[in-house]
Amino acid sequence: MTPAVSLSNVSLAYSLTRNRAGTLKEYAIDVMRRRVEKEVLWALDDVTLELHPGEVLGVIGANGAGKSTLMKVVARVLPPTKGRVVVRGVVAPMIELGAGFNMEMTAYENIVLYGTLLGRTPSEMRDQVGKIAEWAELTEFVDVPLRSYSSGMLARLGFAVATDTDPHVLVVDEVLSVGDASFQEKSKKRILDLIESGTAVLFVSHAMGAVLELADRVLWLDHGRSVMMGDSEEVISSYTEGLSTN
Amino acid sequence: MTTTHIYDSDEPRRPLATEWSNIWGYRGLLKLLVSRDLTARYKRSTLGVWWTLLNPLFTMAVLWVVFGNFFRFEIPGDVPYVVYLLSGILLITFFSQGVVATGSSIVNSSGILSKVYVPAEVFSLAAAIAALVNFGISLMVLVGIQLVSGVGVPWTVVLVPIPAFCMLLLVAGIGLLVASAAVFFFDVLDLIQVLTQLISYLTPTFYPISIVPERFLPLIYANPLYSYLVVFRGFMYEGVFAPGWTFAYMIGTSIAVLALGVWVFTRSWKRLVVVL
Repeated sequence: MTPAVSLSNVSLAYSLTRNRAGTLKEYAIDVMRRRVEKEVLWALDDVTLELHPGEVLGVIGANGAGKSTLMKVVARVLPPTKGRVVVRGVVAPMIELGAGFNMEMTAYENIVLYGTLLGRTPSEMRDQVGKIAEWAELTEFVDVPLRSYSSGMLARLGFAVATDTDPHVLVVDEVLSVGDASFQEKSKKRILDLIESGTAVLFVSHAMGAVLELADRVLWLDHGRSVMMGDSEEVISSYTEGLSTN
Repeated sequence: MTTTHIYDSDEPRRPLATEWSNIWGYRGLLKLLVSRDLTARYKRSTLGVWWTLLNPLFTMAVLWVVFGNFFRFEIPGDVPYVVYLLSGILLITFFSQGVVATGSSIVNSSGILSKVYVPAEVFSLAAAIAALVNFGISLMVLVGIQLVSGVGVPWTVVLVPIPAFCMLLLVAGIGLLVASAAVFFFDVLDLIQVLTQLISYLTPTFYPISIVPERFLPLIYANPLYSYLVVFRGFMYEGVFAPGWTFAYMIGTSIAVLALGVWVFTRSWKRLVVVL
């Protein structure tokens, strides 16, 4: 079976300029004083992995371990500095849901815009608005500008639009914890349905319980390097052991 | 969503070809972004889209009082000063607002671009096209003034889209250069505001070229905006075709600058996106 996602020896560097100049003026001054020193931070360092359709890979690690960078590399937001990324099919990124929302526009307009940002056509999205709003339980507020929405409503809307497609690859952040208990149950069911239908999932979380429950395999990242990958229970127990000994 | 498209990071970006296919694939988004650019800004104001017209009209009023009454320039051809002035202001406004909007498009959309994969050039092109549409709307006022003042509208007005389209390419090209730089250094946008103002003074918008001392003439002729303005005025109200070299200079600079902008943008994208 061809993998939905394959990363071969992927590295990603953030180049940090020391005393990073935010403006051209500061930079010019720094250059004149010969103070420009380049420093490279490897957010991902030689990571290799394969993810097959219908499989869930959990990603764990401390803050700054490269989890978000890994998500963005798979979601093709960040091109790798070294190595090769191949993704077959449509990727639905669920990183900070609703990043593309415009607060002045109504929910209707935002559903169309956000869906189009995710690669669908405006006319296709206009047909889906009713369904999406109903699923997010926001039908009666569909013509209200988003600035009057609560954060919970925004999160529900973002989740509903992002999962409305049948993506081949789903990249999920901690978004399973949006909304109240009944909405969490509902969104979890939607993810499980997608996995059932063959969507490959990259699931990043700090909640070990959730990772253990959903993931088939787990990848432990530390300072951009892959420390351990394999059976969920084994990786999680080594990870938590490592935490307690430190 | 049945078509399986494959993303392979090793596939090289081909300047222009990649951009073109990206924009074509996201043409629906492009349309939405243009209309958002045109309406969202004015949504909560009573004047609405009319704000688009206020800026050039106020500029025109001030310059008309100063240079049409105090100094009294002799304008080439047999047209009222207002027509000469407004035609210049509108084209220069298109240029400077377009460059600033296109230049800030990537920084302003960094929230989206750092979380969802969208070809960034779609945002830049949308800003440039919005400036073109604003220009088109503001031409209505110029047409109105030409009719009222008895200048009339020659048939060549149907050719105005040619200089307008060339200006769109120029704006998009410079805008992409600025947009790439603005990601690294935020003050580039302030610098650009000053530079566009400078270049607009080097363009005969409110003064006739006849008052320019001979030793400064090469500077004016070298300024690409001069050729766009000559062609535009020719079509808009003079009813004449500009000299061939002006045409060639206009078309040449628009294509060359666009190509340069796309090339730099494509080459720097990889380094650009990580600092967004």
